[in-house]
Amino acid sequence: MNIIFFMAALIIYLLGTAASLAYLVSLRRLFAKLGKFTLTAGFAVHSAALVVRYLEAGYTPITNLHESLSFFAWSIVGVYLVINVKYQVEVLAAFVSPVAAVLIILASLFPKEILPLAPVLESYWLPIHVTLAFFGNAMFTLAFAAGVMYLIQERQIKSKKIGAFYHRLPALKILDDLNYRCLTFGFPLLTLGIISGSVWAESAWGAYWSWDPKETWSLITWFLYAALLHGRLTVGWRGRRAAIFAIVGFAVLVFTFLGVNLLLTGLHAYN
Amino acid sequence: MSRNEDKGLFPSLWDSLSSLRLTIALLIILSVASIFGTVIPQNASPEEYLQVYKITTYKILRILGFLDMYHAGWFILLLALLCLNLIACSLKRFRTTLRFFTPELRLDDGQWKTYSPGQKFTQNGLPAQMLPGIRETLSRSFSPPRVVEASPAFHLFAEKGMFSRLGVYFIHLSVLVILGGSLIGSFYGFRGNVNIIEGQEADQVILRNGEHIHLPGFNVSLEKFSVSFYPTGAPKEFKSILTIREGGRKVLTESILVNHPLTYKGISFYQSSYGIAGVERVILNIKDRESGKEVSLSAMMGNLTEIPGALSAFSLSHFLPDFQGMGPAFQVIFSEPNQPQQKFLILQNHPEFEEKRPGRYRFMIKEIEPRYYSGLQVTKDPGVWVVWAGCFIMIAGFYMTFLMSHRRVWIRLTEKGAETFIEIAGSSHRDRTGFEKEFQKIGQALNDSPMGLKEVKESEGHS
Repeated sequence: MNIIFFMAALIIYLLGTAASLAYLVSLRRLFAKLGKFTLTAGFAVHSAALVVRYLEAGYTPITNLHESLSFFAWSIVGVYLVINVKYQVEVLAAFVSPVAAVLIILASLFPKEILPLAPVLESYWLPIHVTLAFFGNAMFTLAFAAGVMYLIQERQIKSKKIGAFYHRLPALKILDDLNYRCLTFGFPLLTLGIISGSVWAESAWGAYWSWDPKETWSLITWFLYAALLHGRLTVGWRGRRAAIFAIVGFAVLVFTFLGVNLLLTGLHAYN
Repeated sequence: MSRNEDKGLFPSLWDSLSSLRLTIALLIILSVASIFGTVIPQNASPEEYLQVYKITTYKILRILGFLDMYHAGWFILLLALLCLNLIACSLKRFRTTLRFFTPELRLDDGQWKTYSPGQKFTQNGLPAQMLPGIRETLSRSFSPPRVVEASPAFHLFAEKGMFSRLGVYFIHLSVLVILGGSLIGSFYGFRGNVNIIEGQEADQVILRNGEHIHLPGFNVSLEKFSVSFYPTGAPKEFKSILTIREGGRKVLTESILVNHPLTYKGISFYQSSYGIAGVERVILNIKDRESGKEVSLSAMMGNLTEIPGALSAFSLSHFLPDFQGMGPAFQVIFSEPNQPQQKFLILQNHPEFEEKRPGRYRFMIKEIEPRYYSGLQVTKDPGVWVVWAGCFIMIAGFYMTFLMSHRRVWIRLTEKGAETFIEIAGSSHRDRTGFEKEFQKIGQALNDSPMGLKEVKESEGHS
């Protein structure tokens, strides 16, 4: 049953991504509205898929790659919808929804059956830890999207010819501000994700920190975003440099999430 | 305290130590360095390394500390440098923060121009008559102001969220507290393992380096271990029932599960592994070939078991978990009256061998009841509460830094003929849009108050 909802969410997200990209290309308001409506509907269906899977599995469904990729996509769309209420940067959808679409397509490629829960995951820290970590990841994804948009827009301005995208992207200042805002939410969430993970590890593995690859990579991500925040807040990194850093940070984050599970072994390798 | 005033002694050292560029450089170096430890296996045995690396590579990696990287001198040094840098930066910055503790209660004319947002009103009456109402309104809509009288003018100052300026110091302090807690753990704590067989006890644990450590004045015994499985065969739950005895006296019995350790006298026991230590009991079917009768009986490992209705007896002397790839096997010592003792093997998965063996009785293994051992991780970490305190301070620091803002409001009342000229200015060190809304509300509150203030047109105001 949850798979039906999941596949429905996948299709709606693909439609939403198509509409958002169509808006970027055509700048027709109709596509912006359509994109927003479709992504909201997709989010609702995806939320239903998660609830149904929770009920069917009997545990928070974030325990293997299918589930966590799906949850990551859900967090990104959710965080985007919330941020968009405040920022009203509709064209952002064209940069965020493809990421969510790629993630949910990847999620559909991994085994989807509900497996019994490993004893170590049987803890109320599972939903807390994973939700905090993924909301942080989603914020960083938005910072990444803002960074990409910044670089494209800056290139347009520097090339002196007003290119096709110029009118479609928000002003540099807005993009830079958005990048910063997402960091100021993402970084505390990442920190909370690491702390909650430590508390859980203390009761499950007998150590709040064991330099497990996942832990180490999350710390690497933390170090990098800490460097970026210090650069922004005090040394005056703005615009281009901050945008590039947000993109690099996102690449490291994706490795922390996917690369560690697929390439390295460790305590977080559950499935 | 601060070195940069002490021009004679290492001023340049202080400058570089308190530089944010050093912070950023250290954070990036630490990130890149940390990667190595996730690619190179840590704390493995020399044999394991030599399977992956050439001997020279192995030696170089060992000398450079890459095999236990996160505890290597150079890594600790980087962390220590980060701490020093963090302290130096905080001290340097704190002096600028200190001035917010003694706020400017009145702004001069130049400052009135720079602080935004601003609003202006005029009102019939003298400033002294206006003051109580304005003070009351500001207290209600924002925060109780402090008043400076510069007759006939009055200056009011009110602020909120001053603590958010301290958030950054809380975060920096928390990093030091967390690292301090981990140091306490590494000096006064240990982490080891012990395997206990059901029914047996242990009073010492084996550390990672092979050292043995005695439990302080108590021992722990494993009453029972159990493991349950899902229908798929995946493990569902591991459970050890442990008893702590002190001087032979039972102190407590508790079961531990994964995610539910037992802590006694600062030492925690975690369920970490299990295995089969041997066999407790075997259920056998024994068939008498002469009478064709079959009996089922249970034999304790190593004990002499009589075959009912006969004078024969046997004992299971050895257990072979996997005999030549054919699964579990037992050695049976069989004795009959007036016959030499016989020794033979029986296999659980190959009863057909038993058919071919000559002799009156045929043995078939129905069930093996294993005797488990439970692998416990035993840790002592007196620093863990310090680490949690650090985490708490860090969360508080983030809350102060990113969710609070220091907002200040100044009001100046000046006499202008028979009227009073009322000016309001405000400032917030972050979330300016949020503050602008709040500032509008304060203006609105002053407007709505019964004094009947008249707003001066924005064109008259400053930018």
